[in-house]
Amino acid sequence: MSAENIKVRENLSAPNGKTASIDPVTVEVIRRRLTAIADQVDLNITRTAFSPLVYEYKDYAVGIVDVDGKLLCQCTSGLPLFVADVLGAAIRDGLEIYGKDGFHEGDIIISNHGGTIGQHLNNVAMYTPVFNPEGELAAFMLVVMHWLDVGGRVVGSITKYSSDIFQEGIQFRTVKLYSRGEPVEDMFRMIRHNTRFPEEVGGDIASQVGGCLMGRDELVQLIGRYGSDVFRGAVEIMWRQSEAEARAVIREIPDGTYEASAFLDDDGMHEGQTIPLAVKVIIAGDEMTVDLSGVADETTTTINSTRSGGGETVARLAFRYLVMPQGQASEGTFRPLTLELPEGKIVSASANSAKGHYNAPLPTLVDLVIRALSGAIPERVAAGHYGTFSTVRFVGKRPDSGALFQCSDSGFGGWGALCDEDGPGPFRTNCHGDTRLIPVEVQEATYPIIIDKFELRTDSGGAGQFRGGLGLARDYQVLADCTLFTTFDRTKCPPWGLHGGGPALPGSVIIEAVDGALRPSLKDAMSVKAGELVRVTTGGGGGYGKPELRPVNSVREDVLRGYVSRDAALSVYGVQLDEKLDFVERRAPSPS
Amino acid sequence: MSYIFAVDIGGTFTDLVACDLDTGAVSYSKSPTTYGNFGDGIFDCIRKAAVEPRDALFVKHGTTLVINSLLQRAGAKTALATTRGFRDVLEIGRGNRTQPFNLRFRRDQALIPRERRFEVSERMAADGTVRTALSDEDLVLLAERLREEKIDALAISFLNAYANSEHEDKAAARMRQLLPGVFVSTGSSLSREWHEFERTATAAANAYVGPQTSEYIAEFDRHLRTTGFTGSLLMMGSHGGVLSTERVRREPIALVESGPVGGCIGAAAYADSLELGNVIAFDMGGTTAKCALVEDGRFAVESTYHVGGFDTGFPIRGNVIDIIEVGAGGGSIAWLDQQGRLQIGPRSAGSTPGPACYGRGGIEPAVTDANLVLGRLDPNHFLGGEMVLDPAKSVAAIRKNIAEPLGYSGDAGVIRAAQGILTIADLTMADAIKRISITRGRDPRDFTLFCYGGGGPLHGVQLARELHIPRVIVPPEPGNFSAVGMLLADARLDTARTYLANFDENSLSEALGRFAALEDESRASLEKEFGPRPVSFGRQVELRYKGQKHSLKVELPQIGDLAALHDVFNREYQRRYGHSNAKAKLEFVALHSTAMLEIRRPDLGQLTGKTKVSGTPVARNRPVYFADEGDRLMTSVYDRYALPVGFKATGPAVIEEYGSSTLVGPRDHFEIGKLGEIRIECGKY
Repeated sequence: MSAENIKVRENLSAPNGKTASIDPVTVEVIRRRLTAIADQVDLNITRTAFSPLVYEYKDYAVGIVDVDGKLLCQCTSGLPLFVADVLGAAIRDGLEIYGKDGFHEGDIIISNHGGTIGQHLNNVAMYTPVFNPEGELAAFMLVVMHWLDVGGRVVGSITKYSSDIFQEGIQFRTVKLYSRGEPVEDMFRMIRHNTRFPEEVGGDIASQVGGCLMGRDELVQLIGRYGSDVFRGAVEIMWRQSEAEARAVIREIPDGTYEASAFLDDDGMHEGQTIPLAVKVIIAGDEMTVDLSGVADETTTTINSTRSGGGETVARLAFRYLVMPQGQASEGTFRPLTLELPEGKIVSASANSAKGHYNAPLPTLVDLVIRALSGAIPERVAAGHYGTFSTVRFVGKRPDSGALFQCSDSGFGGWGALCDEDGPGPFRTNCHGDTRLIPVEVQEATYPIIIDKFELRTDSGGAGQFRGGLGLARDYQVLADCTLFTTFDRTKCPPWGLHGGGPALPGSVIIEAVDGALRPSLKDAMSVKAGELVRVTTGGGGGYGKPELRPVNSVREDVLRGYVSRDAALSVYGVQLDEKLDFVERRAPSPS
Repeated sequence: MSYIFAVDIGGTFTDLVACDLDTGAVSYSKSPTTYGNFGDGIFDCIRKAAVEPRDALFVKHGTTLVINSLLQRAGAKTALATTRGFRDVLEIGRGNRTQPFNLRFRRDQALIPRERRFEVSERMAADGTVRTALSDEDLVLLAERLREEKIDALAISFLNAYANSEHEDKAAARMRQLLPGVFVSTGSSLSREWHEFERTATAAANAYVGPQTSEYIAEFDRHLRTTGFTGSLLMMGSHGGVLSTERVRREPIALVESGPVGGCIGAAAYADSLELGNVIAFDMGGTTAKCALVEDGRFAVESTYHVGGFDTGFPIRGNVIDIIEVGAGGGSIAWLDQQGRLQIGPRSAGSTPGPACYGRGGIEPAVTDANLVLGRLDPNHFLGGEMVLDPAKSVAAIRKNIAEPLGYSGDAGVIRAAQGILTIADLTMADAIKRISITRGRDPRDFTLFCYGGGGPLHGVQLARELHIPRVIVPPEPGNFSAVGMLLADARLDTARTYLANFDENSLSEALGRFAALEDESRASLEKEFGPRPVSFGRQVELRYKGQKHSLKVELPQIGDLAALHDVFNREYQRRYGHSNAKAKLEFVALHSTAMLEIRRPDLGQLTGKTKVSGTPVARNRPVYFADEGDRLMTSVYDRYALPVGFKATGPAVIEEYGSSTLVGPRDHFEIGKLGEIRIECGKY
């Protein structure tokens, strides 16, 4: 349909948001086109990115924001961690530095600044301005991506030994990578000499740039077709609709103040000193406040993030899980959400704090917000998931060529059971989305490792009327001397059950020397010798409801499938099965 | 004795096209698909077309049997044997969640539950050397167990078998010997590419549908023979060629997209004959719309396909035509979500109750209702007048469900709402076309839109306008076009090998040697299956920039030196992704070989719908609403069967025929081309 045909009953550019007059079909067309543009860019990045981290792990997100940094839409399957205000934060810093008139057609700006993005420096936001047919700044097209290495102390830039952000790599605070369509060679040279993987990072940057430009061109067409006024008006309506959608859900939640708390094993450096995390959720009418005042203070280690990079991320992620699990979010979606968070917490840390493992506390915090509402809306929550990144990263030199290799394997674990079904998984954490594991065959063909076993871990899911999802067990044989980096947490506060459901088993990493000696490693950089074994398990998800309520048949099927052992069927579920797995009797469970 | 039959079993209808190669006589027929016993519908079609199976050289057959069996989990009782330590490959999958904020997200259940997945001692290394020998003892024990469990089918998939299939081959031979009557399938016989989950899932799916497909083919073949048929039954493969029944009994999974592929073959044949250049094949049916790119007479074949969709389905490796399907068909239902946003599909009214206008009790408006309200369809000429539609029911459904809730009042409001339905449906389809073109680095403006299926010709012009495509083609018999395409299909065999090697002269000559070997194998297989006929080959090389795992398939240049190949790759990369790096090193990833064996087929001229009405074509008139005009325009309505080759006119026009109606926009020019095709030049407004 052509633009001329769009019937407009009154002046659309009227102030005070007099937008109700735009044809509802036009609004819907614009809304869908925006999502389609973001998704198209997403697909293109998956296809063109250079490093597997980007295209397999999908460690990036695509967003479209307005001239003030307000969210129009995001790609459907990008990394949820970027769903927060990271996009807006980058733009607002840009506006502050350049002013609205400082952006030109063909400019491409990057930022990974600790005080702006507030996550680890590998997360680099890139964006380009979009101008409407009248030549006015109308929107920004963004792609946030994890760069493989931005310098700093170690390969990959992230190490628990950093104590401030300057040890974690180079910071780009709102700088132009392209100016008026021309590459700024000085910047490219600077980047090239501040990363250990110039080829890979260069390739990823090219795909990030390609994505920004592709999205921009499509946006220009879209705005041109309907006219700037209709476009702006449609966006206002879209926001209002998302807002109404969210408010309608919140209204169904009983008013009240809900709390939940848990803790992390440690901050990465001080073993035995747990990190307390407490959250409050206040529901009042159709408004939700997430209060993170009870979260531990900023640390001297690397688990910090800023308010926008951490606190906002947690609140928005949990909000989506609870209120809007499907569909598209926009700025309007989050209007009923308020974040209560004083400065100086691990998720509202200072600009220069170390942030390498900024994401470590986030899955647990998101889970806690969900758990807080478990009594109020039992049908919309799930028990705790394994909740920790469970990264296993081997870095070393190839025995044949001596070339540096880096094999990153982030863990997959069980998810929590729900009020009416078993927990799903194994998946990555609730801060990940459409990220796929790297096939064993690809790892074996690419890195000097052999994987002896990769299977579901019996009894790792929390018991319950509905059982938690299972974690995994994986054994690596290492064929070259290398360093093993791991990030496992939640061993002391394992994934919780709900409403009588049991907790899940946490994960573990054990290095087995040739002589059989065992070395555990949860958050360490351990040197591993060729020939040694690394045995990794990941946690399961918590159970929901009392185990004694689980039907005998379901328990029997779990045993038949090996999800639950025969011993656990008896001790946890009270279901005795004989050797042929025929039912003998049910009695009260007798957990040891 | 010179007929070819093509039979396409679709979700709603079974279609037949029969063509006499000697006389050029063509008959078309359609019958409702008979679930439970597909043969009934087929033989009904044969009766209707008044043709005799005894006169047929070939019967080419496309069927949804395999995909339905997979989607409905209605296959055989199947077990899986894997390398020790890896029985959960099938269940772990790739661990991705496509709905990132959904606590309930889970994938469709694995085809084979854990208690029927068994481990065997054996291990290949990534370079194809044996790390642990295959344990015969394990196989013997496993066979015993499977016998007890009364398993019908067994999939065998070992780690790294893509690099060396020896253990899988041995295990399969042994299990066939130990378990006669059990359908045995290995991963490496279906895919020689890495990624253990995808290959295992393929083996599992193949075994799962194996017994049923074999039975179906045997039954159908037997039935045909009893009617005097002495020719060959050929099955339509998802890769765009026909397969021998012998191969399909081993590799039934090759039929997974057996239906939609027919239209693409047809589109390619017409594009070639009419020198249309590159076309987008666009098929709109009752529940979905599908699109595919056909470039230089060839369509792309993808090596991963998701059964049940990418979101929650499972992948299979194999060659499946690269096609995008969206939930927008004539029966797709229009509805408003809680925020009053107009949505189309994915729910479809199907044929029962069907759109409101069918008068079979449907009360929700479908896309067909909107077309009817706007005058784009004639209530008295639907399916050649076999079915009379009730516009009043469409109006009522649209008024109540869409117009009134949106605040559109009166008759004008109903028109506006109906147009809104088409706008959203067209948008969904246009996005699908964009996805298949733009994200592959193609510009839709460089293509011709080739429309078929019941609804394709009705929506084509608007989509073309939306996408700035200058030309639309509607072939003869668009409603039967999938079957027409099958009629034209050659036999085809695709093989691929993972080939990890540096990009240098040595590797290239090694690759050429491997291609030659693959081609010898393919030729031998094809000749064994079809007899000695001319065979032609295609060579594609999968390359990537060194260090990058994402690869791109390109045609191996005829004069295959390294520099030429490098150049082809860089150009294709640049085209597809908008950037390339001429200085970056390349490496080989895989070799893809295609072998085509020519099968006698009709000349396209023979398929031209005969002009059944003589004399000068006379148009009737009726008002049709055109969104871009914002009004109804008096529109000429033609009977397609009355339009001779060379006939020209200017839109607005509707051209009606049995299974479809073609809409030509105001000021668009159309002409009947030499093969009976409608050629529409879409002007810009």
